[in-house]
Amino acid sequence: MNCYKSKFEACLKKVQKPARYIGNEFNSVHKDDFSNLVSFAFCFPDVYEVGMSHLGMKILYQMMNEREDTVCERVFAPWVDMEDELRKNGIPLLSLESHLPVADFDIVGFTLQYEMSYSNVLNMLDLAGIPLKSADRGEGTAFVCAGGPCAYNGEPLADIVDFFILGEGEEVNNEILDAYKVWKAQKGKRVEFLEQISRIQGVYVPAFYDVEYNQDSTIKSITPNREGVPAKIKKRIIKELDNTYILDKMIVPFMDIVHDRMTLEIFRGCIRGCRFCQAGYLYRPVREHSTQKLIDAAQKLIDSTGYEEMSLSSLSTSDFTCLHELIDELLKITVDKRINLSLPSLRVDNFSMELMEKVQTVKKSGLTFAPEAGTQRLRDVINKNVLEEDLLRTSRIAFEGGYNRIKLYFMIGLPTETEEDVKGIAELAQKVIDVFYSIPKEIRRGRSVTVTVSTSSFVPKPFTPFQWEPQNRIETLIEKQKLLKDNIKTKSISYNWHQSHVSFLEAVFAKGDRRLSDVLIAAQQKGCRFDGWDEHFEYEKWLEAFKDCGVDPEFYAYRKIDHAEILPWDHIDIGVKKEYLMKEHDRAYEEVTTPSCREKCMGCGAASFGGGVCFEQNQA
Amino acid sequence: MSKIRLKFSKMGMGKYISHLDLLRTFTRAIHRAGLPVRYSQGFNPHQLITFSLPLALGVTSETEFVDIDFEEGTSAVEVVEKLNGSLPPDIRILNASEPKCKANDIVSARYIIKMDLCGLVSKARLQEFFNLNEILAVKKTKRGEKEINLRDYITMYDLKELTENTAKFEVILLAGGENNLKPDILVAKLCEFLGSCATESYEIHRTEIFCKDGEKVKNFY
Repeated sequence: MNCYKSKFEACLKKVQKPARYIGNEFNSVHKDDFSNLVSFAFCFPDVYEVGMSHLGMKILYQMMNEREDTVCERVFAPWVDMEDELRKNGIPLLSLESHLPVADFDIVGFTLQYEMSYSNVLNMLDLAGIPLKSADRGEGTAFVCAGGPCAYNGEPLADIVDFFILGEGEEVNNEILDAYKVWKAQKGKRVEFLEQISRIQGVYVPAFYDVEYNQDSTIKSITPNREGVPAKIKKRIIKELDNTYILDKMIVPFMDIVHDRMTLEIFRGCIRGCRFCQAGYLYRPVREHSTQKLIDAAQKLIDSTGYEEMSLSSLSTSDFTCLHELIDELLKITVDKRINLSLPSLRVDNFSMELMEKVQTVKKSGLTFAPEAGTQRLRDVINKNVLEEDLLRTSRIAFEGGYNRIKLYFMIGLPTETEEDVKGIAELAQKVIDVFYSIPKEIRRGRSVTVTVSTSSFVPKPFTPFQWEPQNRIETLIEKQKLLKDNIKTKSISYNWHQSHVSFLEAVFAKGDRRLSDVLIAAQQKGCRFDGWDEHFEYEKWLEAFKDCGVDPEFYAYRKIDHAEILPWDHIDIGVKKEYLMKEHDRAYEEVTTPSCREKCMGCGAASFGGGVCFEQNQA
Repeated sequence: MSKIRLKFSKMGMGKYISHLDLLRTFTRAIHRAGLPVRYSQGFNPHQLITFSLPLALGVTSETEFVDIDFEEGTSAVEVVEKLNGSLPPDIRILNASEPKCKANDIVSARYIIKMDLCGLVSKARLQEFFNLNEILAVKKTKRGEKEINLRDYITMYDLKELTENTAKFEVILLAGGENNLKPDILVAKLCEFLGSCATESYEIHRTEIFCKDGEKVKNFY
């Protein structure tokens, strides 16, 4: 096949889980002759079992491979044992399907799902033998692009990535591939391709913008440095989901992956507007698939995968307008085949026994709810419109329905949070426990109940009303975790929390600017990778990298930013206006909640895309 | 009879599909093919699938067996055809039959082993290894590690080809529930014996499974 194949195979005998690297899974696509094709290496900067659980990759992989003029192959970060073998044996990073060097592909595209995967992006480029800096890539070198939620503020990767793709990829990826073909036929220069695609809506070429700074390190200006590139780059969305590519075929891995099941995406966006939630703003406006399309796709997924579980995917399952109808129809095609339906992301305010019983038809799974904050006051601040009585009512339904384990997710370090709010988490969990014991023994199942409380540390994110907020210092977060732990008085509540050091770096890179590119390069050279994995996260190395580059990470994470300041992502347009976010920020401090898109349009700006919920309301 | 025994091959990169993953692969392939498989009773029903003899990770094979319980009247021809359409390319169903031998009677398996060499190795040197009275190796079992004499596990050795770069030979090793030897343990010991002439590159391929038939030994099918 190629010169690395036998060496690569020899490595597989020495590593854990070789099935991560073999490819050839059912429904994977293999094209033999690349010579007349545009080749796209779709890179997920994490290990196989994580990357293969990602829906966006599945969609774009099948979609690009349906093009006869394109081949898309997958690339994952080799686990540390495999990386050692590759480096020892002089083998570059290879694609999964053909085991071809990633550097030989025309376009190398990364999906940026979380900030803590950035070091893996750099490490994969290094393994591939592709220069880390965009400026160092000459004619004939692969183009490096990136998409996904973190691409909206991709500034920390601005020196590394040649172009970002902002928004949903179904249309824009095709336009880029078309442009590549034309450019290749014209034998154009590297910069010419970037200039051409910078005119496509949703494509952002960071090198075409100059950033100037003030004395105090804040940004003075962000301006295009050449003719013809837009001053503001607007994201792309698919206006009518039913009219675009719908995933009806998925690769079925050999090994157990994180989400080893069919995924049926029911809608995009979220009507809620929780003020901490980046996805809630990035993916506006809400757009749904029709039930009929979903049933068709579900049937095809069942036939083409043989999976025994199907999960509905969206930011908030229970907000799908025809959820009951959809579930009834899905049950008709799943029950006989022993396929289990799972409904993640349920809200406590519209959870019903009926719904719960429906998904119980095949198999029972655990229940998880996310009140996010411990007191009503703080839930109003963050606009998580969930009432205590909703949670307690839902818990009662669940306990009476036979559950005796509930997981509750919270955040600590939210803006305006006090000791009372932290203690409130323990109190709320206790109230859930009290509900269980208030139910007669004959009705509830089991003698005891377990409530698992998990807290993550609040990370202020770009494009949210809290983008101007400072993060709590690591010491403060640890104190709050301790306070919560001390206030949990019963063994029926178990408490898990996230490492605060990781959350700090997450904040730095989420809100960072392009001066962080050098820090990423320094960190990669020091051996940082797999930062999302506790066993590989080396905080000291990161601190060294910041020091070496003369960059103060606290500047990005701990500063309260003025509304008037220019933000590193101000030239990116997600539809939702900055003024709207400011208004929401003010309302948070007023402890005033904002209704959902379906209750009342607040004029966020997403209507500029001309579709989705913004217009469904006007008709009603 | 509703139980069908399928003979299949596991080739190419498919050798890195672990035993557990192989079971999952078959389960989903049967689903995709829409074949009328039977399920176990009980709280967590699963398809009735039994492999005759696990294959070590990293070993290819042209003779694997799996028994699957189908509803009465399922056509064996249809099973072969449909499964070949729904299995990944590295796993191929070769034929289907009624199970004759019992998996419990499996005693040994034949392998072809091809080793890459980087120095001259004589035929006599290889023979010397296989003539040793004692080849001690550590074997991992469910209960921990134990030292075994590989000699007791090798019932046949036959050199097929010897060049400057490769040695290719056939062995029959004990296999099955009672005494089982993974061929890579033997290869590792042989590499140790050959010292600097051996490389870490080798291929192992299973060609036959044998079972006892009274006092005699016959091909498993």
